[in-house]
Amino acid sequence: MIQLRSITKKYKNNYALRNVNLDILSGEFVFVVGASGAGKSTLMKLLYKEETPSSGTVMIGGINIANLPSDKVPNLRRCMGIVFQDYKLLQNQSVYDNVAYVIRTLGISTKEINARVLGALKVVGLSDKIKAKPTELSGGEQQRVSIARAIVNGPPLLIADEPTGNLDPKNSMEVMQILDQINQRGITVIVSTHDSAMVDYFRKRVITLENGEVVRDIQAGTYEQQ
Amino acid sequence: MSSNKQTIKKQVKKHIPKDWLTELRIVYRITMETLNDIKRTGIVNIIIITTIAAILTIFGGLFRTALSVNSFAHELGNVLEISVYLKQNADAQTVANRIKKIEHVQKVRIIPKENSWQDLKREIDIPDIENPLPDTLHVKVDKPQNINSVFNNIKVLSVVSDMSYAQELAKKIQILNNVVNTSTVLVVIIVAILTITIINNTIQLVIQSRKDEIEIMRLMGVSNWYIKIPLIMQGALYGFLGAAFALIPLNVVQNMLNNVHRFFMIPGPIFAGNMVVIAMFFLGISFGAGGSFLSIKKHLQV
Repeated sequence: MIQLRSITKKYKNNYALRNVNLDILSGEFVFVVGASGAGKSTLMKLLYKEETPSSGTVMIGGINIANLPSDKVPNLRRCMGIVFQDYKLLQNQSVYDNVAYVIRTLGISTKEINARVLGALKVVGLSDKIKAKPTELSGGEQQRVSIARAIVNGPPLLIADEPTGNLDPKNSMEVMQILDQINQRGITVIVSTHDSAMVDYFRKRVITLENGEVVRDIQAGTYEQQ
Repeated sequence: MSSNKQTIKKQVKKHIPKDWLTELRIVYRITMETLNDIKRTGIVNIIIITTIAAILTIFGGLFRTALSVNSFAHELGNVLEISVYLKQNADAQTVANRIKKIEHVQKVRIIPKENSWQDLKREIDIPDIENPLPDTLHVKVDKPQNINSVFNNIKVLSVVSDMSYAQELAKKIQILNNVVNTSTVLVVIIVAILTITIINNTIQLVIQSRKDEIEIMRLMGVSNWYIKIPLIMQGALYGFLGAAFALIPLNVVQNMLNNVHRFFMIPGPIFAGNMVVIAMFFLGISFGAGGSFLSIKKHLQV
């Protein structure tokens, strides 16, 4: 599903990524780990075209998104769910409206929107909070709303950039378990994290970045595996 | 895997045609977004609409006045004639036919010397002498600004003894016409600059206040046009409402000008009111939308 070939990302004289080559298959669950500044977030941003590589190709679903015109970027992003460390929820809107926001712009009927939103909220266990505002929710709940929003359009790919970065261990575990459940439904999940406990617990494919280079890529790996 | 790959490729690369109901729902959502943006702008809405209404009132008032002045100038121009006095041996009909061929000449009327003599004798007590008056031609020109060139063309004819016309009046009418027309064009330019500047700044504030929201929309894959169109519609709506409110003072100006026309017994310009209203709405909406568009181009990175 995803192929990265000879990816280099340079900011002035600093390399964020150097000659990265990766293949991620459809239905995989992948952890991207590494210390701060290792290039995890840059790699994630390349996948949802928030950044463009200095050189190399990023193929997603057979399209080189490195060359994707800007007017097609929204189409690409609607094919994937994105989860952020800081949740990025609309604070003045309810949980329901946050989840429904993007699919409303597609002209989908109210009945279908309702079905999809309630379905997504059921997956993340927030069916009873549809009227709550994000400010009335805990961090873990807000991240679950963000996951519901990411899966409401039925994407084949979910990208989570440090989804547990602002959460305590209990909430982190809940969020990771939800992501794991989503993956079991056939959705490809890529999670960047520096939460070693979660990586060690779930034993998924682990790609380790150091100074912008892939130094390890291990199936069913752990955070500090040699 | 192949199915996912095809789905992504299809959704990213191709435009997926939508049925009319889906399009209608999108239009509804965009309209709701526009109304929400206006609601969020709060009390500032009133200031913007009032200012645009004031600017459009000045434009509408001047444009309506220009149409009236044009109509006055046209009526006065219509009564302007060149009097051509012929030499004694000249054949009036032949000269009249020749003058009719001159460009911008609309009509030539022959006043035989016998008629002029009879008229003169009716007005003043004249002894019974031989008629010394020549045949006279009254030449009417299509537009007041052409009167001078027609005058010069007739003057060179050898059979013409003397000529006269209200030269000063013709010049003044022409100057007044030019001044009013130039002022209207200048006011349109000022209206454009002011409206675009006001809307530009307002939309900039809206974009600033919604910066986080727009960022989230963008990252979630909301189309660029879905983000932009409500802002452009907001600007256009300000222009529309400004023009609608400007109709109130414009009506007062319109009534005053109609009274002036009635007083001088000169008919008002046809469809003047409708023309001014259409121009005001056109300028309000187009400059409003244009101001938003410029602001989006400068401040919205999507």
